[in-house]
Amino acid sequence: MTTVLILLLLALGAYLVAVIETWTITGRFQLAAPLFAGIALLGRESIVPRKPDRIFFEVAPVLLLISAILAAAVVPLTPDLIITDLATGALFINAALVYVLVALLMAGWGPDGAYAMIGGWRFLGQLIAYAMLIVMPITAVVMRAESLLTTQIVVSQAGVWNIVYQPLGFVLFFIAAMALAFLPPFDLPTAKGELAGGVEAEYTGVRLAVFRLGRLALIITLAAATVIFYLGGWQGPWLPPWAWSAIKILVVTATMLLIGRFMPRIREADLLAWCWIFGIPLALLNIFLVGVLVLVLP
Amino acid sequence: MITGARQGTLSGLRRLVSIAMARDLSTFLIPGPDIARAHGLDFEAAGLHPVASPRHASVLLIVGAIPPALREAAAIIYAQMVRPRVLFALGTETLPPLPAADVVAGLSQQDLIQGIRQLRSAFAEGAFRPDVSDFDAPMLHVRIEYTCPMHPEVVQSEPGSCPKCGMDLLPREAQATAGHTHADHQEMDNSADRQATSTHDHGTHHTMVHDAPLEYTCPMHPEVVQREPGSCPKCGMNLEPREAQTEPTHDHHHMTHDAPVEYTCPMHPEVVQSEPGSCPKCGMTLEPHEMQDTQTQEHAGMDPHRDHSTMDPGDMAFMSMIDVTQDLPRSGDGLPMEWIEAPFGPFFPGLPGGLLLTLTLDGDTVAGSDARSLIGNGDLLLQHLSMDSGSFVERLANRDPLAPVAYRLLACRALENVAGMDIPADTACARIGALERERIASHLGWLALFGQQTGFDWLRRHAASLQLKFQQADLKQILALKPAIQALTKRLQRTPLLESRTAGIGQLAPDATLRGPVARATGISDDARSTDKTCAALGFTPVSREGGDALARLHVRLDEIAHSIALIKAAGAIELPAPAHVGELSGTGEAVVETPRGLARLQLTLEGGQVTATQLDTPSTHHLTLITPLIEQQELGDALVIVGSLDLSPWEIQP
Amino acid sequence: MSAQTFFIGFFGLAAVWFGIVVFRTFSMVRSALALLFSQTALGAMFLSMQAEFLGVLQIMMMATEMSIMAIFMVMFMMDPGGLGEMDMTHQKRLSLSAGIVSFVAAVAVAVFVDWGPVAHTAPDAAQQTVDLGLELLGRSMLIFETAGVTILTAMIAATAVAIQPATWRSKHEH
Repeated sequence: MTTVLILLLLALGAYLVAVIETWTITGRFQLAAPLFAGIALLGRESIVPRKPDRIFFEVAPVLLLISAILAAAVVPLTPDLIITDLATGALFINAALVYVLVALLMAGWGPDGAYAMIGGWRFLGQLIAYAMLIVMPITAVVMRAESLLTTQIVVSQAGVWNIVYQPLGFVLFFIAAMALAFLPPFDLPTAKGELAGGVEAEYTGVRLAVFRLGRLALIITLAAATVIFYLGGWQGPWLPPWAWSAIKILVVTATMLLIGRFMPRIREADLLAWCWIFGIPLALLNIFLVGVLVLVLP
Repeated sequence: MITGARQGTLSGLRRLVSIAMARDLSTFLIPGPDIARAHGLDFEAAGLHPVASPRHASVLLIVGAIPPALREAAAIIYAQMVRPRVLFALGTETLPPLPAADVVAGLSQQDLIQGIRQLRSAFAEGAFRPDVSDFDAPMLHVRIEYTCPMHPEVVQSEPGSCPKCGMDLLPREAQATAGHTHADHQEMDNSADRQATSTHDHGTHHTMVHDAPLEYTCPMHPEVVQREPGSCPKCGMNLEPREAQTEPTHDHHHMTHDAPVEYTCPMHPEVVQSEPGSCPKCGMTLEPHEMQDTQTQEHAGMDPHRDHSTMDPGDMAFMSMIDVTQDLPRSGDGLPMEWIEAPFGPFFPGLPGGLLLTLTLDGDTVAGSDARSLIGNGDLLLQHLSMDSGSFVERLANRDPLAPVAYRLLACRALENVAGMDIPADTACARIGALERERIASHLGWLALFGQQTGFDWLRRHAASLQLKFQQADLKQILALKPAIQALTKRLQRTPLLESRTAGIGQLAPDATLRGPVARATGISDDARSTDKTCAALGFTPVSREGGDALARLHVRLDEIAHSIALIKAAGAIELPAPAHVGELSGTGEAVVETPRGLARLQLTLEGGQVTATQLDTPSTHHLTLITPLIEQQELGDALVIVGSLDLSPWEIQP
Repeated sequence: MSAQTFFIGFFGLAAVWFGIVVFRTFSMVRSALALLFSQTALGAMFLSMQAEFLGVLQIMMMATEMSIMAIFMVMFMMDPGGLGEMDMTHQKRLSLSAGIVSFVAAVAVAVFVDWGPVAHTAPDAAQQTVDLGLELLGRSMLIFETAGVTILTAMIAATAVAIQPATWRSKHEH
């Protein structure tokens, strides 16, 4: 029952992400636009390129969707609304999301097209930049909660949210999450003006619909992860827990989608350099500071 | 009813799907959004949703008349679109080899909106049809031809054996117009019932012969060598470009298949040569052994058909990367990687429409490039034309939709120069007003394209809407828009990542061949307006910036927008130049105009009032040659920023 | 209990199958990703054996590692589109004998080592994580630190070797 409810909420979330994304681009709220776009995609032909790696081509969109759903499985929306409260939850989110990389590599490799292939490569470089900045801030969060249980992580923020307790970790995780979801300005694998769609350029019809759904689910899952790690999850005054979860997740989603509209795409070399020269030392500093706080504060 | 309908009867669920598709018009724009805006069209406000790949589009929108080479490219784009698809033409009906447009409308926002309404109803009613026909055009055919693996010059249309060596000929794909299209990017129409269609790099194709001294070989089957790009007849892989060999013995593995013996070092199996000698690594005498066909391949174990168990393991040594990659072309970082040739254009979303940039990519680094315009606007350069002066002015003005006023002014000034006429000061001022207004619009259009290329969505939308406002603005409106420009400039100065994206990219040294903003960004204050006495009277001073990189070019354009507003204010009027009546005049004349892209010069000869010879010199023609050296060894994203920062107009490039 | 046995067997067979696919396919990328899925199946085996942390860690680490490996192999081995018709086996006799020897050794270890008494219930997952952490920072710390530093050194060395020194290049360019 919970599983079905969460999956429905995930679908609703993905739909809202699409609405918010249209809003960030056009400045208009068009509630029905994603619905029409989705149906239209289903009505179009879904063709296979001439010399594809057929298995990769077919599997990639599905794998993207599955990894987003798996990560969503350990995200608690209220104390009880969670598919499975794994003892390794915080690690599991990361494990599931690593397969986003595998999916994009397959999508880049499968169609045998230059743009897609470069898109796949670029995302691999991107992973090398962001991966540590996902894992290391989570480590600091886990240190404070003294547990990998995602519910325990939320409970640990009852007094002070992690965004206040470890702001450095929040900034790093937020940036890395945007890079993981290949949102602008980190949309290197799909870059419209540079690769004409990159990894998704050769997908059409139903396959494209699955790919895009996977991407939307990924964005909402990452926003939800940000909320439970740093924004106190379902906690908040007056409103019921589910409402707080929903509000926080949507605000984080909108912020993630908006930021990229106001700056050009980052250079891949800069992304790698900054992540390793500044990001990783800062993440280590964050772990150290949180360690001191955990020991000093009662 | 639409010609590109998908097969099926329109009933039940499909009707619903058709209605949804009519609401979601994903559009691929030809030649590009820059041209649409130049015609004053705001297609996004009209309800079209632009997409970057023809694969994702259901509407192919053609704006204005386009030359034949672009139409051929457009036919390939059309074939890449999946059904149902419609063809929507604005201001033109000459489309072959494209099929007739489903909806035709005029070149105005009103007509566009009207056309979209028709388009929606056509979609809702005709997205599915029981009988659909394939779209077919000569450039879409993949013909099978037969060639000898040893003698690539032997090509015939029937299977058979090679007249030179008697080997069986192998089939491969060829083009109907041999050498004019890229096999890899060849598209076949995706008929409604056929699932697998040919594809490669959509959005793009290749229509020119390569004159670079390259030959193409299969990385897996080095015996396959041909002059044209294509795919390997044995395994279907894309052939790799490499520099043609001048000495056959040099590239031993690939070329000299008749050499029966090769020499290798017992200690260093990667040392293989065709002549006896000593190992360059250890000095041991090389041992001869019978050359196996494509020996390196076997070491890497690449041939699945060979019986490996018969091979002596002692002969194999270890699989050596040096062995496998030693004959591959190498880029600056020394890391041999897959080289792919990818076309960017002529309708690439981040480049000016009509520009075809073919990049040889080494990983994502540019190893080689070729840039050309597919517009082919050469008809006005004929030495023997005869045209009355009025229509000449119109022709020149319509030649470049990105700078019509500047070229109209150029033609008018040249005619006046022949006639020795003097223009009244107030007319001259009003002309400056029109020219500067176009400069503002052009620079804003460039900003919008830059925003599109770099995914800076706010800039794309904001600059595009400002451009549309400026295009037809009168004096009062322009002055009212001044704060918006100041806000834009301030915003760009505060934009994160913008500087890191452009600073140090595409560095140019001061050079006399540079023109316009590109030159002024290197610190040269070279501007044709400085010598114009009307401009001088209006208080014109040229803008210049040090740096010479993409960031400096961006700033020069921003500064110029502000200066142009000041000039328009000083000029106090805006009026399009009108051609003078020259009567039955004969003589030669010359004129220069500082177009938005730099100085353009026109020389023309009049005989009895008829224009008989012209010579035109345009900035983009010069700047096109900068591309190849500038983007060499640059990362792909940087290379595109460099090409974009030059602000080329493919329409003014001389063939 | 029987469900657990079934899943251990299932993922075990899947791991073996993907391991075979590594050599049966003709494309570098497919081969690398088959290896990845073989490792993922191993991770799933850990999960069925109630070793949750190890399983999740295995699944996470292998995805990154194998993808990076795939891309390096592709870059060096020239295999566009993954359709390169490349045989994944070489030095057959040597690899066959090495494979057989390692298999026999692994079986021997499995059969002859005294694994101690059979634990009928595994500690719960959270407890396992705690135990593992204490183990890693206690008795096994030296081993893991040594392994970590060794791998780092190997990575740096491999990168250094992959890029030919400029002197070598200039000598070999004509």
